[in-house]
Amino acid sequence: MSANLSSVRHTRGYDIVKPLSITALLIFMLPLVLLPLSSIFIFGFSSGLQSFWAALTTPDAIFALKLSFVTSFWATVFNLVFGLFAAYVLARYSFWGRNAIIVLISIPTAIPTAVAGFALLLLWGPYGLLGRFLPADTQIMFTPYAIILANIFVTFPLAFGVIMPVLETMNRSLEEASATMGATRWQTFWHVTLPSLRGAIVGGALLTFARSVGEFGSTILVSGNLSGMTQTAPLYIFAKFNEGQVEAANAVAVVLAVFSFVIFSILFFARDWLETE
Amino acid sequence: MKADTTNIAVSVEGVSKSFGSTKVLSDINFDVHEGEILVFLGASGSGKTTILRIISGLETPDSGRVIFHSRDVTGLPARERGTGVIFQSYALFPKMSVEKNIAYGLKLRRRPKKDVNQRVDELIGLVHLEDHRKKFPSQLSGGQQQRVAIARALAYEPEVLLFDEPFGALDAQIRTRLRHEIRLLLKKIKVPSIFITHDQEEALELGDRVAVLNAGQIEQIGTPYEVYMKPDTEFVATFLGAANVLSGVYKNGRFETGASAIELEEPISLDEGSRAKLVVRPEDVFLRRPENLQQHYQKLADGTIEEVSFVGAFERLLVNLNIGNGVTMVVTRPKTETAAFPFQGGESVSAGIVRFRVIPAESRMGGRENVDIVSVS
Repeated sequence: MSANLSSVRHTRGYDIVKPLSITALLIFMLPLVLLPLSSIFIFGFSSGLQSFWAALTTPDAIFALKLSFVTSFWATVFNLVFGLFAAYVLARYSFWGRNAIIVLISIPTAIPTAVAGFALLLLWGPYGLLGRFLPADTQIMFTPYAIILANIFVTFPLAFGVIMPVLETMNRSLEEASATMGATRWQTFWHVTLPSLRGAIVGGALLTFARSVGEFGSTILVSGNLSGMTQTAPLYIFAKFNEGQVEAANAVAVVLAVFSFVIFSILFFARDWLETE
Repeated sequence: MKADTTNIAVSVEGVSKSFGSTKVLSDINFDVHEGEILVFLGASGSGKTTILRIISGLETPDSGRVIFHSRDVTGLPARERGTGVIFQSYALFPKMSVEKNIAYGLKLRRRPKKDVNQRVDELIGLVHLEDHRKKFPSQLSGGQQQRVAIARALAYEPEVLLFDEPFGALDAQIRTRLRHEIRLLLKKIKVPSIFITHDQEEALELGDRVAVLNAGQIEQIGTPYEVYMKPDTEFVATFLGAANVLSGVYKNGRFETGASAIELEEPISLDEGSRAKLVVRPEDVFLRRPENLQQHYQKLADGTIEEVSFVGAFERLLVNLNIGNGVTMVVTRPKTETAAFPFQGGESVSAGIVRFRVIPAESRMGGRENVDIVSVS
């Protein structure tokens, strides 16, 4: 087969394998990625923009989207600050157990999200290891704080994973130059280290945020999934679908899909801009 | 040396440093005078980078002192020493424009904005970067980046400039030109400067004095002329340029090897009968037919031409001298010599020498017998 094809190329001076393989690639992707994605949009707008808009602007839908974005925002802020700190410490100092800490930070990537949510319940739930000591009126689980906690856990390694390699490969003499010129450690970090991490910080933030907004497995366990109280956008899609309100589910799904496209585009196209100037 | 301390900008006294069990520097002593350029020449691993880092405060010595203008700075961190370091990669801040890079040290010192701008203008003029002041480091050529690095270091008037192999990242052609430019600039601004390099040509051309470093110790410090023409050790002789080294004995004011005896031109502090080495540069050996060797060459030995090769500007010959079981020596000759006294392989010649140096045999490179041939670069 391959011998035949290559002989075709050589005799006719035209590489037939190229268009064939590109077509094959697209045919593979069609049912796997392209069709599912487009069906969200096709279905979402099939009964007109008006009904789409009506489905999107119900109080519960708006609340779910807001809750997703707000909880994701705080999870992102936390993980960014923590990731930056952890990356700095681990990239700048070598000490016994350094690798163990790196593995520990990265572990949440490998843990199924449902397990993560379950683990949080076992710790902070009303009968959990620590949760049992909390007064009844300050319980964390089944509140928006639980969602933030779950988001933090699930996206914990993302910002760190983006920032750490940039810090590690950064030219150490930049920081040394700053020191010889009279800068304190903090001045060097602020004026020299941080600007060089700008691209990594924005990238890490977007990645964390996007992942948090879409989080389902852990959220459904720790939030209680109470409509209008602790129901995030992905939970809303799931709930509405279960109730047979496909249009309501679809409207929110469209928003999440568009949102992820936007984030992806920024990551894909704005990276160079962030890296240079 | 201690007599004229007013003129000394930087002193390093008895500095030693180990990393783990590896001794990197042992008992380093030197002074840098006001406006002087001192070049440390050494192979990689000789400890030259560590010297620079210790002076700048990026590394602390295990023992010894660093003194800037009679002020002991050994205990001060890098940021309180205010040295101007020009890193090998220049280490320009990539997210800052040329102007901002140069202003950085002044802003850290909270100078008034007006003063900062004025000083930046002045420095940009000094290093001729008027057309590039708004550019970012990635938009500049290697030579321009280097000038930014120098201007940036000069901004806050450092007590000493430290150059870490500043030409390492540049093409050979640009290197020669920049070397010249930097020397002119440093002579103009008169800031004492320490360079480190592994390039002997660079060291000889740049330095007012050259310190040759070997395995963490200074073998010799002197003017380029001194270290090249009067090497104290075999290492210095062979590291700076090429040299023929012959083993022999010091007797009656003469260096004796085989049947040859060379009259020493200047006295040497060697015990009668002790082992010594004769160091001769390939260009200081003159070849004549045995009957023609003139009086002003001291005859080293007779021998046979082994090989003649043309190497562009000069001719290189290998000559087997009748010393012991035969010793091969490298000789280089300019065109005037080759035209007047053409030789071919197999011919008998006499080798005379004009400039040479006799050094004690127990230099640390010791242990090698008879002659070492170091290729002529």
